[in-house]
Amino acid sequence: MASIAALRGPGWEAARHRAFLFGLAPSLAVLLAITLLPAAALLVASFTPLSLTDPVGTFRFDDPLVNYRHLLADERFLGSIGTQLKLSVASVVLQLLVGLGLALLLDGKSKVLGATRTVFLIPMVLPPIVVALIWKIMFTPDVSPIHRALEAVGLPVRSLIANPDTALWAIAFADTWQWFPFTMLMVLASLQMIPSDPIEAASLDGATRWQLFRYIVFPHIRPVLIVCGLFRLIDSFKAFPLIYVLTDGGPGTVTEVTNYYGFIQAFNFSYWGYASAIAVVILAGVFLLSWAVGKLGWNDHDRR
Amino acid sequence: MNMQETPDTRRRGLLAAGAALGATALLPRIAPAQGGAKKFQGVTLNVSTFSAAYPKLLQQWLPEFEALTGAKVNYDAPSFPVYNQRADLELSTKGSAYDVVNVTFIYSSRWINSGWLTPLDDFIRNPEFTPADWDVNDFLPGARAPETGKDGKLYGIPWTAEALLSVSSRFDLVEQAGLAFPDTTDDLVKVLRAVNKKERVAGFVADSHYGWTFVPYLHAFGGDVFRKAPDDLFPTLDTPEAIAAGEYYANLIREFGPDGAVTYTPDQVTQALKLGRVNFSDAGQLHLAQLGDPATSKTIKTLKFGLVPKGPAGRFPGTAVHALGIPAGSKKKEAAWAFIQWALSKQTTRKAVEAGYGSPARRSDIDSQAFRTKQVINGNDLAQLALDSIEQASKSGHMKYRTVSVYPQIDQQLNKAIALIASGQANAKQAFQQAQAQSIAELKRAGIAL
Amino acid sequence: MTGASPAIDGAIGVVREDEDLAPPRRRRPWLQAHGRALAAVLLLLVVMFPFLWLVQLAFKPAADIFEDGLLFTPTLEGFASLLQGNFLKSFWNSLAVSTLSTVLSLAIGVPAAYALTRWRFPGRDRIALWILVTRMAPPIAFTIPFFLAYRWLGLQDTLVGLAIVYLTFNLAIVIWLMQTFFEAVPPALEEAAYIDGCGVWQAFWRITLPLAAPGLAATAVLCFIFSWNDFFYALILTRTNAITAPVAIVNFLQYEGWEWTKIAASGTLVMLPVVIFTVLVRTYLVRGLTAGGVKD
Repeated sequence: MASIAALRGPGWEAARHRAFLFGLAPSLAVLLAITLLPAAALLVASFTPLSLTDPVGTFRFDDPLVNYRHLLADERFLGSIGTQLKLSVASVVLQLLVGLGLALLLDGKSKVLGATRTVFLIPMVLPPIVVALIWKIMFTPDVSPIHRALEAVGLPVRSLIANPDTALWAIAFADTWQWFPFTMLMVLASLQMIPSDPIEAASLDGATRWQLFRYIVFPHIRPVLIVCGLFRLIDSFKAFPLIYVLTDGGPGTVTEVTNYYGFIQAFNFSYWGYASAIAVVILAGVFLLSWAVGKLGWNDHDRR
Repeated sequence: MNMQETPDTRRRGLLAAGAALGATALLPRIAPAQGGAKKFQGVTLNVSTFSAAYPKLLQQWLPEFEALTGAKVNYDAPSFPVYNQRADLELSTKGSAYDVVNVTFIYSSRWINSGWLTPLDDFIRNPEFTPADWDVNDFLPGARAPETGKDGKLYGIPWTAEALLSVSSRFDLVEQAGLAFPDTTDDLVKVLRAVNKKERVAGFVADSHYGWTFVPYLHAFGGDVFRKAPDDLFPTLDTPEAIAAGEYYANLIREFGPDGAVTYTPDQVTQALKLGRVNFSDAGQLHLAQLGDPATSKTIKTLKFGLVPKGPAGRFPGTAVHALGIPAGSKKKEAAWAFIQWALSKQTTRKAVEAGYGSPARRSDIDSQAFRTKQVINGNDLAQLALDSIEQASKSGHMKYRTVSVYPQIDQQLNKAIALIASGQANAKQAFQQAQAQSIAELKRAGIAL
Repeated sequence: MTGASPAIDGAIGVVREDEDLAPPRRRRPWLQAHGRALAAVLLLLVVMFPFLWLVQLAFKPAADIFEDGLLFTPTLEGFASLLQGNFLKSFWNSLAVSTLSTVLSLAIGVPAAYALTRWRFPGRDRIALWILVTRMAPPIAFTIPFFLAYRWLGLQDTLVGLAIVYLTFNLAIVIWLMQTFFEAVPPALEEAAYIDGCGVWQAFWRITLPLAAPGLAATAVLCFIFSWNDFFYALILTRTNAITAPVAIVNFLQYEGWEWTKIAASGTLVMLPVVIFTVLVRTYLVRGLTAGGVKD
């Protein structure tokens, strides 16, 4: 670049930087307007008891921490955090297991395997609302082929989403069905990068497939699994269509995750101050996890 | 398709609309019912109610309105909880997405007293908008009361005044067991025990809006929602009476309900009754009248109706009123009023009654021959039962809890509490104590002094 | 162009000529040789069964929904019934919003991606983290302020309003993805253009962009898919004018009678564009979904 600077004369570097700034600025401005400003507005609203039945009167800051105090005392909110964690952990673990298993199975070069790998992508890219509909049909005893098949062989099963013991698991199951391709893809990519020499040497020495997996393959893909898990964990906080369509947070509040509870507070009763506080809490959690992802799996462009 | 709106174009649009309104007010008007020039040619009205019998009839007759006025109507009728959530959200921001909305009974006080609806008195009084024989006083006073704001103005025109009644879709099974239609809460349990699962018919179901279906039982056991609505709004959900009522009612669902009973919507209940999958239920005539439809109802020959059961403290049938109103933010209020005026004119409501509609709000319709004869289903005089219940409600005033503006939040608590008990996640005491605590928190959040 | 990463190519089944890890060929019983493929196909049928059921349901006559038989005469009446009412309009809205959002994101994001690729400045990592977080944030955090703002600005229930909201996640996708594609272009080519007297953006337009064109296309498709699939923002920020297809489907679910054929038909239609596009860009899918949070 120095040679070019010499060729193009003084001011070339400065002009170049100005040009880049010109290209970067619109994005930064837009992002500022649509992310930082709303986040700031959210934070401000969370300090007021804002409710739209009396917007002027409730937009006051005399007791800024009122919502957060209520949150700490709100059993339903605390319960929703527990539910969220349960759902997230269950889904992520299942997705990792299923994704890993399928990746190991489908890691091969035949055309058939290649085609199945492509078809397995479908659940992940379907509009989430369509996934919710698919599972609404599967979980409604009246129309579900699974329920009817089970009934036909003499094992009738009661509605899974109306039963508080199984509702959360049903949602975790549907969520796993939707997102296992993500883990599968990432693990497949990682499997491709395992150097073949250690594997050949070990198998010549008589290592079983399980030993190969445990001592060579698994340590290699572990970082990917961790990053995958974290990614899915962060995304799982956004879970909405499945709950909205399948259970509406019920029966009772057994499938009401924090995101859903915030939705209800904001859009059912216009408690916007309170819902903002809930959103701030979720945002804080997401920020922490994103930071962790950044530290662990950073695609560092500077290193290239 | 909406044009891109900037604040400037919006303001300009408002000014233009205001000028047009002012200008046209000077011209002589033709009331819509008399025909003549198409008054609202090119106007698109957005109407939204929840999916129910009367709105469905209206939907069929929309072409008549469109032909009369030249307006085009977008008709949106989602399910009850979805409708309420959307309408509440839209109204709370004084939005203009809807021009005519349903004023849902549990939300009427909240919406009216927050100033989210348009007062209708001026439209009614003005002969240019409303023909003289439209007669607003023909609507039951008891139905107009919940639609009147604290300022005395009318904010909604009722299209239904209904009462919660009890029904048995397979009364032949009850007779086979040698029993009569249950009168008291004890009777009900006895009868259900005898007929549950006979011929694969589940005993009892109620739609999951327990804030509506459960409260008659709450009252029957001597409990109430608030200490003394509308003055003293301290909730009384954890009294021994309330807990006893909750225990009793949730047990009905748990012991005698079909699979997935806690998720049943009103339409599912109606469907189940029509197909004879469930025997007993409590519902309003809005739904019960549909059971008399010979085309779709398989149980029409084995139906029996009665009043809701009497408990230790008496009989307290629930009553409900829904109305059509105009959001405060609507930009087409005149066209909206033309729609409401047409939808609830004597001609239209009479047509509905003749089509089998079961819960009109006009006195003239209730007294009419058409209504009385149509509402005799399988020998049961549905109309008389409903009228008795409405009469009772206005006398005892037990529906006052409904006109409290914060009732929707408490309504949700009741829904959750019964669902918790019926699905076995908590016993009645725990569930109701939780409901009580949460209700107090909600009321505090809404700024009510307790 | 099959992308800069051999790993991802392999993952999707793109065969590369220079790899050959297969063991020496010898006769094996058919089951052992093809066991894996067989297991894969069987598993595929089991896993994709719910999806196939939905598609099949769309062609069932409405009267047969509750029947137990598997055989039925397929009919298009489910799809035909979609023609009345709001559904077609919502489908059109989805197309319009997704296209608009994609164009907007590309127009704003591509120059930024290029600038971030070629310009090392202090604070770059912090900005990168911020961009990552915007993609991760739960929609509820943005819908409340956006809802209020749109009421005041008059953007409620408009396609433009929705497209702007979609920038919250699409911009991040564009910036991250296009960075990786621009990095694959050797700077030497641009430097040659500078020597010839070109300005920065001239060189970009003439040299870098054409080379990154397949990546641009893939990014555009991913933006489209993400916009198309959105549910939450559309649910809150649209009413009757700008209602999109995913929200319109939910209306069918909640009307009386639970019109299952309509639901299945609309579901099938709504996922069709996305599935087709996915097959086209499957190579870039992982990159798009992780948006740079993962080492390639």
